[in-house]
Formats: sequence, structure tokens, C-alpha cells
Amino acid sequence: MIKPEGSYVDLDMPKILSSKKLASLWHLMKGYHTNYLIATVFLGLAAFARTNMYLVLGRYLDQVIGEGFVGNQLLLAALNFGAMIVLQAISSFMSNWMASFTAENTTRRLRDYLFDHIQRLSYAYHAEAKTGDLLERATSDVDTLRRFFAEQAVGIGRIVFIFIINLFAIYSLSPHLARISVIIVPIILIVSMIFFKKLSKAYESYQEQEAVLTTNLQENLSGVRVVKAFARQDYEIKKFDDNNREKFNRGKKLNLMHSFFWPISDLISAGQQIYSSFTAAMMVINGALTIGNFVTFNSLIAWLIWPIRNLGRLIVDTSRAFVSFGRVSEILRAPEEDLFSSTYEPAEGIRGEVEFRNVDFEYEKEHPVLKDVSFKCEAGQVIALLGSTGSGKTSLVNLLPRFYDVTNGSILLDGVNLKEYSRSYLRSQIGIVEQEPFLFSDSIRDNITYGVHREVTQEEVEQAAREAAIHDVILNFSNGYDTLVGERGVTLSGGQKQRVAIARTLLINPRILILDDSTSSVDMETEMQIREALDKLMANRTTFIIAHRIQSIMAADLILVFDKGEIAQCGTHEQLLNEPGMYRDIYSIQTRIDSELQKEIDSVNIL
Amino acid sequence: MSTFYDESEYDDNVTSQGPVLRRLLKVLKPHWKTMLFAMIGIALVSFLDAYFTILNKRIIDEGIAESNISTLVRLFSIYASIVLAQSFGFFLFIYLIGLQGERVRYDLRKALFNHIQKLSLSYFSKTPLGWIMSRVTSDTEKMADLLTWGIIDTTWAITNIIFASIYMFTIEPKLALIVVLSLPLMIIVSFKFRVNIYRHYRQSRKANSKMTASLNENITGVRVVKALRREDKNLKAFEVLSTEMFRESYRAAFLSAIYLPTIQTISAISLVLVLWQGGLMVSGTTLTVGGLQAFVSYIMMILWPIQDLARVYAEMQNAVASSERVFSLLDTKPAIVNRENTLPPTSLVGDVIFENVSFHYEDGEPVIRNLNFQVKQGQTVALVGPTGGGKTTTVNLLCRFYEPTSGRILIAGHDYLEYDLQNIQSRIGVVLQTPHLFSGSIRENLRYGNLEASDEQVEKAAKLASAYDFITSFEHGFDQNVGEGGNLLSVGQKQLISIARALLAEPDIFVMDEATSSVDTLTEALIQKGMHQLMSGRTSFIIAHRLSTIKSADQIFVIEDGQIAESGDHKSLIQQRGIYYNLYTKQFRHDLETKFDPFIDAGTEANTA
Ligand SMILES: Nc1ncnc2c1ncn2[C@@H]1O[C@H](COP(=O)(O)OP(=O)(O)OP(=O)(O)O)[C@@H](O)[C@H]1O
Ligand SMILES: Nc1ncnc2c1ncn2[C@@H]1O[C@H](COP(=O)(O)OP(=O)(O)OP(=O)(O)O)[C@@H](O)[C@H]1O
Ligand SMILES: [Mg+2]
Ligand SMILES: [Mg+2]
Repeated sequence: MIKPEGSYVDLDMPKILSSKKLASLWHLMKGYHTNYLIATVFLGLAAFARTNMYLVLGRYLDQVIGEGFVGNQLLLAALNFGAMIVLQAISSFMSNWMASFTAENTTRRLRDYLFDHIQRLSYAYHAEAKTGDLLERATSDVDTLRRFFAEQAVGIGRIVFIFIINLFAIYSLSPHLARISVIIVPIILIVSMIFFKKLSKAYESYQEQEAVLTTNLQENLSGVRVVKAFARQDYEIKKFDDNNREKFNRGKKLNLMHSFFWPISDLISAGQQIYSSFTAAMMVINGALTIGNFVTFNSLIAWLIWPIRNLGRLIVDTSRAFVSFGRVSEILRAPEEDLFSSTYEPAEGIRGEVEFRNVDFEYEKEHPVLKDVSFKCEAGQVIALLGSTGSGKTSLVNLLPRFYDVTNGSILLDGVNLKEYSRSYLRSQIGIVEQEPFLFSDSIRDNITYGVHREVTQEEVEQAAREAAIHDVILNFSNGYDTLVGERGVTLSGGQKQRVAIARTLLINPRILILDDSTSSVDMETEMQIREALDKLMANRTTFIIAHRIQSIMAADLILVFDKGEIAQCGTHEQLLNEPGMYRDIYSIQTRIDSELQKEIDSVNIL
Repeated sequence: MSTFYDESEYDDNVTSQGPVLRRLLKVLKPHWKTMLFAMIGIALVSFLDAYFTILNKRIIDEGIAESNISTLVRLFSIYASIVLAQSFGFFLFIYLIGLQGERVRYDLRKALFNHIQKLSLSYFSKTPLGWIMSRVTSDTEKMADLLTWGIIDTTWAITNIIFASIYMFTIEPKLALIVVLSLPLMIIVSFKFRVNIYRHYRQSRKANSKMTASLNENITGVRVVKALRREDKNLKAFEVLSTEMFRESYRAAFLSAIYLPTIQTISAISLVLVLWQGGLMVSGTTLTVGGLQAFVSYIMMILWPIQDLARVYAEMQNAVASSERVFSLLDTKPAIVNRENTLPPTSLVGDVIFENVSFHYEDGEPVIRNLNFQVKQGQTVALVGPTGGGKTTTVNLLCRFYEPTSGRILIAGHDYLEYDLQNIQSRIGVVLQTPHLFSGSIRENLRYGNLEASDEQVEKAAKLASAYDFITSFEHGFDQNVGEGGNLLSVGQKQLISIARALLAEPDIFVMDEATSSVDTLTEALIQKGMHQLMSGRTSFIIAHRLSTIKSADQIFVIEDGQIAESGDHKSLIQQRGIYYNLYTKQFRHDLETKFDPFIDAGTEANTA
């Protein structure tokens, strides 16, 4: 009974997103429609029991006034009344149970879906998106939807039930009274719709500000080191306070509207009640109605108006759910990265021959980051990229696993256009060590094995760690490979992080290896160790190396020197040294230091 | 995923909620007037509610039964005017209570955020960000709900019950007694349920923050997730969390669903007794029919408040679970605080001395051991050494992000514990090893270093850090948006901006932790020229692996295993032929051996202008 049912894969998202809002919410409940209906029916039953309580009471009073009770009739009437309460209780239990089952399952499924969807959105989406905003939508807005499913969604059924049942009951007392008692319906509807529009707007702006606040908090927390480094706590507090206050103000506005709506709808309801009640009283005086019936009617009318009054409230509350659903569906509408289409998969795996043909690339229209890049390399070669800051090196290697697609031109892998391969396949073949390594808050072992999709032995893990020159360091931690690292790897030193990231990539044994500036934070000696290990590993796999130290790249088969998105120079180390240009400039600066060092060493040696 | 530390900051005591509740009420204290008015409003409304029943009774007895139309009209007009008054009261209290809710949200978040700003780095490196977030956002929400509608519903229910009981006693005390006697039973049942419902809510709040943490981490690390095709596994891991959340909230909801009907059934029993006994009394003529009718409608009237009370009580458990989390965050003591009698804010111009400084992050794992050094005012010091040696940690200590576990650090003649924290941190300019920018424009990011900087100053700093050229090449120049964490820039660009940001702060002590590790050689050479000029007269700490950056330092400390293994200037260290010599020449010699380079002369001749 307490097991989750159904999974996020059951959701038919295109249908959900293309429907009208109410229908979308209905489709979101897919699989739980029966539970939902049961919940509604039981709510109806509860309403029925409640109405019946009044009828029983009316009859009871009539009988007390009239001929009185004989024998155990009195006890029976009382028990009858008690039975109705119990029926009411059981029904409301059933309906609450079913409603919470529906609501909790629906939201669990939606959360899963969102989680998965968000991680499958494109690189470009994530570059622009604010984490705090995504979080706000995936948590607070989803919670609003949960409320809707638990409370409002079944409320609709209940209201209709109660209304119909009571209307019938009144009708059976007097058709005339029934007719004059429904004048309220159109009035409440109109008033609610007016408020619905206004409240939706106000709530949307409120919720937007809430997201601003969450984003503010998220950014503050993720940049906490910078905040402290500049002692900007006061500034941050003020910024947050401004946002918080703005939210308070918007909340005040929203609240004011609510405070108008409720009494207004209550006044309308009370007006109807007085009117109906007075008419009924006159009917009694005119002899058209018995006193017992009047008492009954007086209770029933309250139960006829109650649902309508609540309908107004429900419509208004639903506006929240709609707004939240709108915000969630904005994420859901963003297209996922297509991982699996175009399924060209060479049986024997890829060889690693890469060719760029007149590749242009831009993140934003009209702002090219790579311009007319062409080069070719054989399988197993080492390609080095060197160039000024922001010249497009990272952007170039990001094209290979298809994190982004080229704007113009084409990239060929083993002679086949990259677009023919599925992204998933490419990523299984290409290993990339990011320029800024990201580790997860998990054990070191789990971080190293993060990319392999099979069971790995401790030996394999250690082997990879050794190749990345981190094994000894890990053994020095008191928990060894089970040492937990903080979020983003904050409890490791810069060089340790980089090496764990290298080990992680080496373990997946990719056909194409990309090292994006991945030894920038390790000392020379460690770098040398890594490089020796890599030399062996690079032997028969195509490797892209981005580095700033000539020494790290001079053995490459092909060196590409980038300047402002274009290949300024290319060739081997020897060729490049022979031509004037950036490469030689860089080389001279670096060797000047080295040759000075040489002199110093010599002088030391002489002494 | 997210296995880091388990949340267990509060004891497992589920039976006594007194302290949390008392503290919760304190949150309302500054706004007690509003609250009082709202409560009076609601009491009035419910008092009038009870009056309707009397009115109804009179309508039947005096109006209808007597066929007196004028009385009827009069009674109905009274009825209408009460309704009018009531809805005004209604408006007032809804407005007040809603306002109160917003205020409580505002207050709680402000208090939390302000407190978070005081917490030390050691807290943040061990607490998943999502945990903190969920406390500030969703837990405060639950608290505000309880403190507003929860209290109002309770007030309404209780006044309703009280008024109805009073009326009932005036009509027929014996019958009323039957009703009142069922109360203790309800209370006992409620307590039994409470403990269980609460337990599940507590777990569900915990699951909620784990979910938030997992989501947050997955979003920030989404690039790695994609590159390593972890989507399926991560989803599986998340499903475990969301299922836990489901299980706990569902159990709590299920228990509440049983709880409410149980309460109703108890009230049903007492009502059956009342009807039965009441019927007997009317037959015995101790009770009028109108009286019985009124009595019965009072019973109906308290039936719902009792149910309401039960509902609020169940929901309250959720809010209490949330409050615990919020309070535990507020109670977290910052590891680093100002000492008493701190010195008034001053400049930190002067010598920096480390005296027998030792430090560890985790007990039993010393990172810095007995570090001693002295840096004269205006000197440039380079920290070098193998990775993980403790260079960043040394800087963390200098900036007082952490404090030494033993030994002292003296700045300008004072133990730095005597200074105000703010004073130290605003006078030391650090470029962190991992560059971080905030979303917003480049200009805003640079100004973070100096909020009052003029545009000229900003541009000057950018030029010094060699960031000017690439900034102006952007479409919006200094107003270009950098994206969250600086995502829309290249890593080198982020580093240059971080340097410019620190320059703008014009600190007394300047710290660069591998600030140019991802910057190309030509740009680095340019920066160094600017730096020289900038560092003269300023005490500077430079951490770098590239020889070019450290060569000209006045002192070089080779830090290995948390100790200074060697120190001196470049020349003397080379002469020592120790670690430093090896660190920087082994590779160099290695390269010479493995690849004799015939073009080395061609290179050196073509010097850059
Ligand atoms: N917040 C932390 N909690 C626990 N341990 C830490 C933390 N930060 C660093 N360490 C550990 O302290 C040691 C020293 O780290 P530190 O960052 O000072 O090295 P480093 O010399 O700066 O290295 P690198 O050159 O790689 O940046 C490392 O073993 C690291 O794992
Ligand atoms: N996601 C993005 N959206 C928009 N522009 C971007 C994005 N990422 C990078 N850029 C811009 O594209 C240009 C090239 O960036 P890239 O990261 O490829 O440089 P890089 O050569 O790797 O530099 P570095 O050596 O500093 O890492 C830069 O001007 C940068 O500002
Ligand atoms: Mg890059
Ligand atoms: Mg470091």
C-alpha cells in the first residue's frame, strides 16, 4: 500500500504540454485517474452523508414535535444519525487517502521527470539558465502543484457532488425554493473569473520574485568564498534584503486582492442565504412549507451555497496551480538534447581520424568564436592547441562530443560526418578532462568510477589513479579511496582535483582523449609523471591537448595556434619554430626563462 | 550521490515539542499587535457565527411559529447587518493575517540569510548547498503557514467550541456534559497519532533537502554528467530520494487521513448519546423543541471545528519539523568569530609573521605543521611546492578563512585575532585558485572589489590585468553578461577578471593563488609587467607553478607536507640544489635529454619586442 506506483516514463509529455492547462493537469495524473475518481466519489459520499445528517435531524425534530417516539425508535433515530457521521468519516478517510496517494505519486513522478529533463537539456540551455531559478521551479512550483492535486483537484468533484445532492434535496422539498437558490451561481462565477485573472498576474509576479530570491541565495552560497574574500557580507545582506523586501511588497499586493475576494464572495453567499431563507419563511407563514421542512431547508441552503462559495475559492486557488504549472512547463518545453538519433555506430569502434572542414561556430548569432577552422589528423595522433585566452580552444574541443554543433562547415570522424553519430555514442568514445574539473560530493572512488558503466575492480581504479599520479596522495588520506569530497570537490587542493578528474577520464579508456588545460594546477614534477603515463596511454588513441606550456605540447604531431578563433599557425614544433609568429614568440619567452635557468645552473655547477 | 555527511543536527526526541513551539511563537513577537487584532477579528466573527444560531431559533420561534411578518423582517435585517459586519471583520483579519504571513517569511529569510553570511568556510565545504537552500526557501514557507493560518484556524476552532459549549450549557447542562466528556478521549488519541505523523514529516523534510541538494549538484555539474553519460544512473539515484520523499509524506498523509475520521467517530458517539438523551428529555418536557433544535445545531457547529483542529494539528507536525531545521541552521555557531575588544579598523600595512602555525581541517590529519616565516612590509613572497602541499591552506589561514589550531599569525605587529574579521578580509585582496564570478555584467563583477570605483578606475584595473582588450571586443563591452559563475567566459578570461577585481580593491596585502594558471604566456608576460608596478610597496603572496611567475620574488618558500622545506630567493635556492632545484630543473633537464632541440637558438633570437 505504501509503495510508489508508476514511473515518470508513463508521462505523455507532448500531450501534457499541448493541452489546455486544466487538461494538462489531468494528463499529469495519468495512471492515477482511478484513484482520483475514487477520491472524488468518496468525497461525494461524504457530502451525501453530511446532507443526510440534516435530513435525519429534520425528521428527528419533526417526530419529537409530532407524535413523539415509541419504544426504541428514539435510539434508532439517534443511531441513524451516528451512522451518518461514521459514514462521513469513513468516506473522508477513503478520499483523503486516495487523494494523497494521487498527489504524492503525481508529484514524485513529476519531480523525477523534471530531474531527468533538466539534466538532458542542452549545454547552451544550461549556460544561460540560472540554477536557483531551475531549483525554485522544480521544488516550490512542484509543491504548489502537489497541493493542487491533494486539495483542489478533488475539491472540484466534491463541490459538484455536494451541490447536486443538495440541490436535489431542496428540489424535493420545494422546486420553487430550488430555483431561487441558484441565482448565486453565475454571480460567483463571474466574480471569481475576474479575480482569477488579477490574482494569476499577481501570483506570477510574486513567484517570479521568489525565484529571484532563490537565485540570489544560490549565487551567494556558490560564491561564498568570493563574498568572504572581499568581506562583502554587508553588500550581500543588503542585496538579499532588497529582493526579500520586493517579494514582501508583491506578497502584500497579492494578499490585498485575496482579502477583497473572500469577504466579497462571502457577502454574495450570505445575500443568497438571506434571500432564500426569507422566502422559505414566508412560505411557511403562507402554509406552503412545514416548519420541519423549513429547518431542513435552512440547513440545506447552507450546504448548497457552501460549495458555490468554495467554487470561487477553488477557482482562485487554481490560478496558483496554473501559474506554477506554466512555470514548470517552461522548463519542460525546452527541447532535450537528442542523445540517440542518427545511430551510425561502426562495429569495430572508431579509429579516431578527425577532420575539421571550414568549421564556423558561434554561441550567439553574429558573434563567431571559431572562423573557418580546417585541419586533419590521423588516428592515434596528438593534436595540440595553443593560443591566447578566449581564442576558442575549449569551444573547439567541445564540438567533438557534440556538446554544441557547428554553425557552418563540418567535422568528420573516420571520414563520417559527426552528425551521423549519436551523441551518446560519441560521448562513450570521447573522454574529456574539463578545464575546470567538477567533482561530486561523494567518495573519491565513486568520483573516479563516475564515468564507467560497469563494475570496476579496485585494481583498475588504482591503476587509473596511479597514471594520474594521485594514488599515493589518496592513500595518505585517512579514509583512502573512501574519503568523501565536498561539493565541487572543495575539500581537495586544486591539483588533486585535476588529477582525480584525469583518473576519472582515463578509467573510461576513450578512443579520443581531450585534455583541456588539465595540468595547469599541478607542479612541474607531477606534471612530468602524468605526462610519462600519458605518453603510453596516448600511444594509439587520438589525443587533443590544450596547454600553455610549450614543453607540454612540443611532441605533438600537429600544433594548432589559435588567435581570435582562427588558426593562425599550424604544423609541428620544428616547423612552427621556423616561421615568425605567435608560436615562436611564446617559445622565446618560455625558453628565455629556461635558458636563464640553464645559465644559473651552469654557474652553480662551476662553483 | 550526495552521500556527504548525514543531517543529524537535532536530537531524536519526538515527544517534546515544547521548546521548538515556544521559539516558534517568539518569531511572532515583533508583530504581536497585528496578530492580536487578527485573533480578535476571528473571535468576533466566530462569536457572531454562534449568534446566527440563536437568530435562527428566534426566526422560527418568534417569526414563523407566530406568523409575525414584521418580526420576521426585523430579524432578517438584523441577520443582514450582522453579515455585513462580519464580512468587514473577515476582510480585516484575512488582510492582517496574510500580511503577517509575508512578514514572517520576510523575517525568517532575513534572519537566516544574515546568519549564513556569518558562517565560516568550514561549514560550507561540508554542507551541501541544497540543504541550506531548502531550509531558507521551503522550510520557512511551512513555518509561515503554521504561524498564520494555523494559528487562525486554531483560534477560530477553539472560540467556536468555547462559544458553542457556553450556549449549550445555558440550554441544557446535562447534555453539554456528554459532549465535553468526549474531549479527553480525543486529546489522548491526538497525542498517539502526533508522534507518528511527526516522525514521518521529519523524515520527509530531510528527504526534501536531500532532493534539493541532489538537484542542485546535478545542475551545477551538468557538463560532467553529460560528458560521462551519467544521466541514467543519476536519475536512479534521484529516484531513490524522491521515493523516500514520497514514502514519508505519503505515510504522514495516510496517518492524518486515519486520524481525522477517528476524531469524527468519537464525536459521533457523543452526539448519538445527546440525541438519545435529548429526545427523552423533550418527552419528559425538561427541554423545549426549539431548545433541542438549537442544541443540535451547536453540536453540528462544533463538529467541524473539532475536525479542523485535528487537521491543523496534523499539519502542525510538518511545520514543527521544518522549524527544527530552520532553528538548527540559526543555531549553527560560526567557527570563526571576532574576539572581544577588537582593534578599531586600521590598515594592515606592516610585516606578516607566522609563528609555529599548525593547522588541520580534519582531526588527526595535519595539513600545516609548525610553519614559521616572516615577511617584511612590501616584500613579494612566492609559495611553491608540490600540489597538495598546503599553499592554498596557508593563504586560507592568512585571510582568516580558517584560524590556526596552534601558533599565531601576526600582521603589522598584532596577533591577527585581535583585528576585526571584516577589517582583515577587506584589507587583503585575494585572487582565489578557482575563479568565481557572479552573474551580471563584467563591470558589476569588477566593482565587487570596490563598490565605489569610478568607471575610469574599473577600466584602469582591467588594463592592468590585461583584460581590457578582450572586454572591449565583446558586443556590450564592460556591460557584457558573464553568466552564472562566469559560465559565458573562457577560464582564462575569468582569471583575468578576478585579478582585475582584486586590483580594484587596492588591498594592503595582495594574494594570488595560481591566478594565471590558465592564462596564455603572452598575456601572462604582459600582466607581470603591470604587476611589478603594482606590487611595489605592497606585501604580496604569490602561489604559482610556473617559474616565470615566481622568479623575481624577494623570498620563495617551498612548502611541502605543510612545512617550509626550503626558503630563500631564486638564486640561492638554485644554489642549494635541493627540492626547488629539482622541482624546476628536473623537468627542464629531462626535456633537454629526451629532445635535443636544434632550434633553441632561433627561438631565443626572435625575442618579442
Ligand atoms: N576544506 C578542506 N577540508 C579538508 N581537507 C582539505 C580542505 N582543503 C584542502 N584540504 C587538504 O589539505 C591539503 C592541502 O591542500 P591545499 O589546497 O593547501 O594544497 P595546495 O598546496 O594549494 O595544492 P595545489 O597546488 O594543488 O593547489 C590537501 O591534502 C587537501 O586535500
Ligand atoms: N557558453 C558561452 N556562451 C557565449 N560565449 C561563450 C561561451 N563560452 C565561451 N564563450 C566565449 O567564446 C570565446 C572563446 O572561449 P573559449 O572558452 O573557447 O576560450 P579558450 O580558448 O578555451 O580560452 P582559455 O584559454 O581562457 O580557456 C570567449 O570569448 C568566450 O567569452
Ligand atoms: Mg578554455
Ligand atoms: Mg592550491
